[in-house]
Amino acid sequence: MNINRRQALQGAAAMLGAAALPGGALAQSRAETLRQVTGNTINTLDPTTPGATRESFGLAMNTYDRLVAFGRKPVPGGFIYDHEAIRGELAESYTVSPDGTRLTFTLRRDAKWHDGSPVTAEDAKWSLDRHVSANSLAKAQLQISSYTSPEQFRVLDPMTIEVALEKPDRRALMNLAVPYAIMINSRLAKQHATAEDPWAQAWMKDNLAGGGAYAVEGFRPGEQVALRRSEAWKNGPEGRLPFFRRIIAQTVPEAATRANLIERGDADLSIDLLASDIAALQSRGRVKVFSVPIANGFTHIAMNTRMAPFDKVQVRRAIAAAVPYEDMFQASIFGRGARLFGGDWADLPPDASFPRPMPLRTDPALAKRLLTEAGFPNGFSTSFAFSAGAASANEPIAALVKESLGRIGIQVEIQKLPDAQFNTFQAEKRLPMFVDGATAWLPETDYYMKLYFTREQRWNFSNFNHPEMNRLTGLAQFELDRRQYEEMCRRMVAILGEEVPELLLWQPNHEAAMAPSLEGYTYWFYRQIDFRDLRRA
Amino acid sequence: MRVLLGIARRTGGRLLSSLPALLGVVMLTFLLMRVLPGDPAVFFASGPSAGQEEIEHIRRAMGLDRPMPEQLARYLWDIARGNLGRSLGTGQPVLTDLRQRLPASLELTFCALAIALGLALPLGIAAALRPNSILDHAVRFVCSMGVCVPTFVSGLLLIYVFYYLLGWAPDPTGRIDIFAATPPDMTGFLLLDFAIARDWEGFRAAAAQLVLPAFTMALFVLAPLARMTRASMLAALGSDFVRTARSLGLSRRRVVLTYALRNALLPVLTITGIVFSTMLGANVLVEKVFSWPGVASYALDALLASDYAPVQGFVLLMASIFVLVNLVVDVLYGIADPRASMA
Repeated sequence: MNINRRQALQGAAAMLGAAALPGGALAQSRAETLRQVTGNTINTLDPTTPGATRESFGLAMNTYDRLVAFGRKPVPGGFIYDHEAIRGELAESYTVSPDGTRLTFTLRRDAKWHDGSPVTAEDAKWSLDRHVSANSLAKAQLQISSYTSPEQFRVLDPMTIEVALEKPDRRALMNLAVPYAIMINSRLAKQHATAEDPWAQAWMKDNLAGGGAYAVEGFRPGEQVALRRSEAWKNGPEGRLPFFRRIIAQTVPEAATRANLIERGDADLSIDLLASDIAALQSRGRVKVFSVPIANGFTHIAMNTRMAPFDKVQVRRAIAAAVPYEDMFQASIFGRGARLFGGDWADLPPDASFPRPMPLRTDPALAKRLLTEAGFPNGFSTSFAFSAGAASANEPIAALVKESLGRIGIQVEIQKLPDAQFNTFQAEKRLPMFVDGATAWLPETDYYMKLYFTREQRWNFSNFNHPEMNRLTGLAQFELDRRQYEEMCRRMVAILGEEVPELLLWQPNHEAAMAPSLEGYTYWFYRQIDFRDLRRA
Repeated sequence: MRVLLGIARRTGGRLLSSLPALLGVVMLTFLLMRVLPGDPAVFFASGPSAGQEEIEHIRRAMGLDRPMPEQLARYLWDIARGNLGRSLGTGQPVLTDLRQRLPASLELTFCALAIALGLALPLGIAAALRPNSILDHAVRFVCSMGVCVPTFVSGLLLIYVFYYLLGWAPDPTGRIDIFAATPPDMTGFLLLDFAIARDWEGFRAAAAQLVLPAFTMALFVLAPLARMTRASMLAALGSDFVRTARSLGLSRRRVVLTYALRNALLPVLTITGIVFSTMLGANVLVEKVFSWPGVASYALDALLASDYAPVQGFVLLMASIFVLVNLVVDVLYGIADPRASMA
C-alpha cells in the first residue's frame, strides 16, 4: 500500500477529529481523578508485611477499613487528626466497660467486602487473631496496648465482637485505629492460606482482601498504583462516598520534577517536595500549599548516654548550650515548622503535653563552663552522623554543630552515611551523636517516653536508661485517672529537661502542595494522604 | 556457509569462555554486598513499632542467619534454577522486576544510541574532512559541552525549557502518559508494542515521552563517538589506499564513504559497544530525572537500601549484556572488515 503525503495528512486530521470527540468525557473523568506524585514507593498491599514502606501504610487506610477511626479537627487551610474523638468505622458503635477492661464493637449491618459478601464478627475476629499471631508488623504494634493472644477476642453474636484486657489500658481503643489494624475478608483470605502460611501473608502482599473506600485497579511496585472507588462503601463519616472516583499514586523520584508537575497542573498533590521548592511554589502562587507542624513528631539530636564522654550529664548540657538553635532552624528547614527549643520553664513543664518546647538556649559561655566542670577543659573529639537520604535538611545542621562545638574545643567529624548504614549503626548504638526525626502513631506523652527513652530497643536513640523514667512509663499506660496521669507525664518531661539525652529541635512542617481546586486535606498521624478526605471544588 | 559456520563456532566458544567471568562477577558482588556495613533487615524493619524481633524475622526470611558459604551456595543454586531472589524494596521477585524494567532501559538506550550515532557520524566525518576549520572547532565545542554537563543538569534543563516553560514536551514522568492506555504487552518495548497493535496515536505519545530523555543521554555520549569517528577518519583519509583511490579519479563520495569510512568504522564499532554497555548501566541519573522505570534506577534504590538480591541480579544482568554486546561487536567486525574474522 502506498500512502502519499495528502493521504497521510487526511489520516492525521481524521485521527485528531476522533480524539476530540470524547474530549468532554475525558475532562469529566480527569476532574474526578486525583493524581498524586511521590518520591517513594508502595511495596505491598498488606501494610503489616515486614518491610512495608510508609506509603504502603497510607494506601491501606484507603483500601481497608478498621473497627474505629480517629476524628479530625479544622486548622487553617485544612484539618488535623483528633485522636480523642474516635468514631466507629467498620463498627457502627462501640462501648467501653466502666472498669475499662472490656471493649464491645457492633459492626455495621449493611457493610460489604469488595467481593460483595457481608462483613461479620467472624471476619473481625480472624483479622485480630492474625494481627496478634502472624509474624507481621501488627504483632508488635498490638502488643503496645496489651493485645497478645487470640483468646482476648470473642464473637458475641454474628455482628458483635468483644475485646478483653487484663487491666485497663489507655491505648486499647486508639490502637485499633492505626494503619496495621486492618479488617480482612477472612473467607477470601483463607482460600489463599497454605499450611506454611496460615494467614495468607504471601497472597495479601499482591492482592486485596478488604472492603475499604477504594479497590486496587493496577499495582506496579516502584512505578504506580491506581485505585478505583468502591461504590458500595458506606463506612465514612455520615456514610458519604469519597469525591474522587479514581486515584493514581505515581512514583516520580526527582523532587524538582514533582514540583514542576504540580505547578503546571498535570499532577494534583504531592507531600514530599523539598522545603526550598515549596517556598518558591508559594511565592509564585499557582498552587495551594497546606502547612502544619507535624504534631506527633520531632527532629532531634541524640547523644549516646552510655558512650563516653556523653555518659556525663554535664557534657550533654554543655552541648545543649553550645549549638545555635535558631540558626539551625532557619538553615535546615527555612523556619518552616514549630520550635521545640527556647521553652520558658525550668524544673517542671506547665502541662503534660509532648513534644513541647524544652528549656534549651544557646549560651556559649555556659557551655564552656559546663565542659570544664565535666573534666574536658580542652574539649574532645567526636563524630556527628546523619543519613544521606535526609541530607538536604540535615547537612546544614551538621555544619552548624561542627562550627559551634569547635568554638568550645570539641572537634567534630561529620559522617554522612547511606541510609541503610545509618540505620544499622543507629540500631547497634554505635553512633556517639546524630540528628534524626521521630514520630509516634499514638500521640500520648507516656507513649513517646516509652518508645524513645526506655528499654533496649531500636528507637531508644540515646540509649537512655533512667530508673524513674522506666518506672513511670510502666505505670502511666494503665493510669486512667487524668490528674494522676498528667502528673506523671509532667515529671517524665522534666526528666528529659534535666538529663538532656536528646536535644529536641523542632517539629518540621508537613507540607502538601496541591492544585488550588483541592479541598479537605487532612494531616494524619501516619503522615500520608487519606484520599477519602479530598474533593475538588 | 563456511563463514556462517565460523561465526557460529566462534559465538559458542565465546559464550562458553565467558561463563567463568560471569561466575566471578556473581561471587564478587555477593561478597561485596555483604561486606558493606548496611543491614537490609534493619533498614526495612523501620515501622513505628518494629523491634529486634522484626529485624530477626526479616533476616531469617532473607537467609542472612545462615553461615556465609551456605548463603553463597544457596544463591548459586537459585541462580542455576533461574531464581534471582526477591526484592524487599518492591516486594516482587527480582526476575519479574528486571523483566519488566529491562525493556524500558533498552528502548531508551537504543533510541539514545541511534540519535547519538546519527549525530556523531556526520559530525565526525565533517570534522575530519576539514581539520582545524571552524566546523571542526564547532564540533569539538559541542562535544565538550555534551560531556562536561552532567546528565541530570542537562535533563533538568531540557525539562525546564521544553516542559515547564514552553509546554511542548509531555510531562516527564515515565514511558507513557499516565492517563493513556498501555498497548497489549508483547515485547515490553512500547514503540514496538504500539506498532504491532497499529495504535499510531499511542506510538506518537510514547515517542514523545522518549525524546527528552533520549536526547539527554545522546548528548552525553556524543563526544566519544564523534571524536573517535574524526580520529579514525583522519587516519584513513591520510592512508595510501585513499591517495590511490583519489589519484585514480574516483568520485569524492566514493572515496570518503566506501573506502575511508568503511576502514574507519572498526574503532567506532568498538567504542559504540562500550558506550552502549555503559549507557545501560550508567543512565541512572537520566532514569531518575525522567521517572523512567528502568533497571539502573531500580539497582540504585536497592543499593541505597542494601537490598542484596536486586543489586546482585542487576550486576549479573549487566555482565551478561556486556558479554552479548562484545559478541555482537565481534560479529559486526567481520562484516565491516572481512580480515577480522580470519583471526
